[in-house]
Amino acid sequence: MSESYPRPPNHSMAEVVETNNKAVFKPKITVFHCFNAISSTAGADSNEYDISAVRMPCSSMTREVFLLRAFEAGADAVVVMVCPEGDCRYMEGNIRAGKRVARVKKILDEIGLDGKRLNIYPVPEKDLNTIDRIIKQTVSDLAGLGPNPAS
Amino acid sequence: MSAGKLQEILSQGKFAVTAECGPPRGANAEVVWKKGALLKGYVDAVNVTDNQTAIVRMSSIAACAHLIQMGIEPVMQMVTRDRNRLALQSDIMGAYSLGIRNILCLSGDHQIFGSQPEAMNVWDIDCMHLIHTVKDMRETGKDMSGFALDEPPKMFIGAAENPFADPFEFRVLRLAKKAAAGANFIQTQCIYDIARFKEWIHVAYEQGLTEQVHILGGVTPLKSAGMANYMATKVAGITIPEAIIKRLEATPKEKAAAEGMKICLETIQELREIKGVHGVHIMAIEAEDKVPEIVKLAGLYPRP
Amino acid sequence: MIVGQQKPLAEIKAEVVPFSKLLILGCGTCVKTCFAGGEDEVATLASSLRLAFKKDGRQIKIEELTVERQCEDEFIKEAAAAIARNDAVLSLACGAGVQMVANRYAKSPVLPGVNTTFIGILEKQGLFTEKCLGCGDCVLDVFAGICPVSRCSKKLMNGPCGGSHGGKCEVNPDTDCAWQLIIDRSKDFGQLDRLSTYVPPKDWRTSNAGGPRKLVREDHII
Repeated sequence: MSESYPRPPNHSMAEVVETNNKAVFKPKITVFHCFNAISSTAGADSNEYDISAVRMPCSSMTREVFLLRAFEAGADAVVVMVCPEGDCRYMEGNIRAGKRVARVKKILDEIGLDGKRLNIYPVPEKDLNTIDRIIKQTVSDLAGLGPNPAS
Repeated sequence: MSAGKLQEILSQGKFAVTAECGPPRGANAEVVWKKGALLKGYVDAVNVTDNQTAIVRMSSIAACAHLIQMGIEPVMQMVTRDRNRLALQSDIMGAYSLGIRNILCLSGDHQIFGSQPEAMNVWDIDCMHLIHTVKDMRETGKDMSGFALDEPPKMFIGAAENPFADPFEFRVLRLAKKAAAGANFIQTQCIYDIARFKEWIHVAYEQGLTEQVHILGGVTPLKSAGMANYMATKVAGITIPEAIIKRLEATPKEKAAAEGMKICLETIQELREIKGVHGVHIMAIEAEDKVPEIVKLAGLYPRP
Repeated sequence: MIVGQQKPLAEIKAEVVPFSKLLILGCGTCVKTCFAGGEDEVATLASSLRLAFKKDGRQIKIEELTVERQCEDEFIKEAAAAIARNDAVLSLACGAGVQMVANRYAKSPVLPGVNTTFIGILEKQGLFTEKCLGCGDCVLDVFAGICPVSRCSKKLMNGPCGGSHGGKCEVNPDTDCAWQLIIDRSKDFGQLDRLSTYVPPKDWRTSNAGGPRKLVREDHII
């Protein structure tokens, strides 16, 4: 580095990365949810992250390709919210969703996108606290994972 | 050409003793000589395994030829896993030309258990077909195509049977099939469950099968409770009763091998008293030096 | 049906690396049924590949198309325009389909995206098992409807071997011993004695051992 350049402030490297991330990284989260579990994600938006929601009549409609396309569309994380086991109106929709999420997690790992960007959570019917907790957890996970490297 | 010693002993109704010699994983003939020297005089014939457990070793034919040079009669094991019918027949002819007079016809362990599981298997024919083929060569002088051979091989034909494998009720039926196909003698899987063995041979005896085919009971001395547990759980087709495992477990470690030997001798003693048993086949895996002791202690020495 | 399994993504990626415009061609018959190469799998693979290349900072244009059957010329004709628009075809059909496409479209590289595994059945949802080797000389009448050629690990015509234990095959404890099944079924029919008959060696000429096979139906040739 040339002497004529001003020296950067005396921050540790970790602090620099953290500051930079805060400046540029506003996580995008796509939520697929069964509308029997939650009616909508309205109100969950914040200045710290963007949420786009996909409502489905049952979480069994979660197909592998939809989850992948959400990442193609720029999502940093994808969350699937399903009815707790035993509560699915269509018997096993939530179990099927779980299997598909597991498969896509593997694909994401193979691609190098990290399967941790995709998660599935049971949500007791319209339990806003749980939803809030899931979103906060996702945002906090993303602080470690960083932005979607394929977006 | 004259019949071999094994055939002679069995046809005279004498109690036969055979042992096993695994060829080396390499071209070192000395290994065969050493094992041969340990066994010479204590057994009537020595089985030479054919890529046993699908681990590549010196060929059975070559190791048999080494034993013949030492004056030991071999039983050439031959599996149908590695060769098609063309190769099997030509090797039988070659083996006979080298003085090999006994063959043990096997299907062979699956290659998945061996050192090269990526290999393609053959199984063009099964062990039953191999028995039939060797018999046809001997009786009709023809190969599988019906071609009359110039000096057909006249082998004394052996086969294996596992009285402990499932389904039990079919085991005697399969023995009958092997006898009908042309087997002259049978060497069984290692016997630990003597009760089940007796049940099996009793049915065979009742059906007159023990008159058609000589049964040699297989024995392997256990060296430790660990070995017994391993064989009982990991080796396909072997049954070891709980009582034997417990007996070894209850023995102090340093005396376990001696106890295993005692069990082996008790088994041989029982076998000698069972109607229809014509001999014993001692499979002392990588413990050929124990064979003379077993033969002597079992009162089977000297050999005829 | 023909059962197949999609190749690992890394292997597919390595195959298609030289091309920037790719057609992923699905097949709507066997491989669709076994979730290896139908419309859904084409879409999932296309999306996965786009993401994978984008992550590496590379663009790839992927077109998706699924035809009814890739092993029939009649159906792959439909793919002509799409094939012409792309640099290469990644076929998710069985090995027969891949070669049919390659045969018709001589100028396009045609790559396999599926490992063709066996002729089998859908035993239950999500479980496919091998039932036939296509040996060309069916012997199911002799063996109570259970094929030892494809289902006995040693192809024994006069089984079972000494490794059958508790009805399972020694090669894989999850696999039923075909011979145990043959014996059980023969017993049910009262035909156990039939199994005591020596079954002669198989004539493999009708199998692939006799070279690539051809079936001609003169009555259907005009």
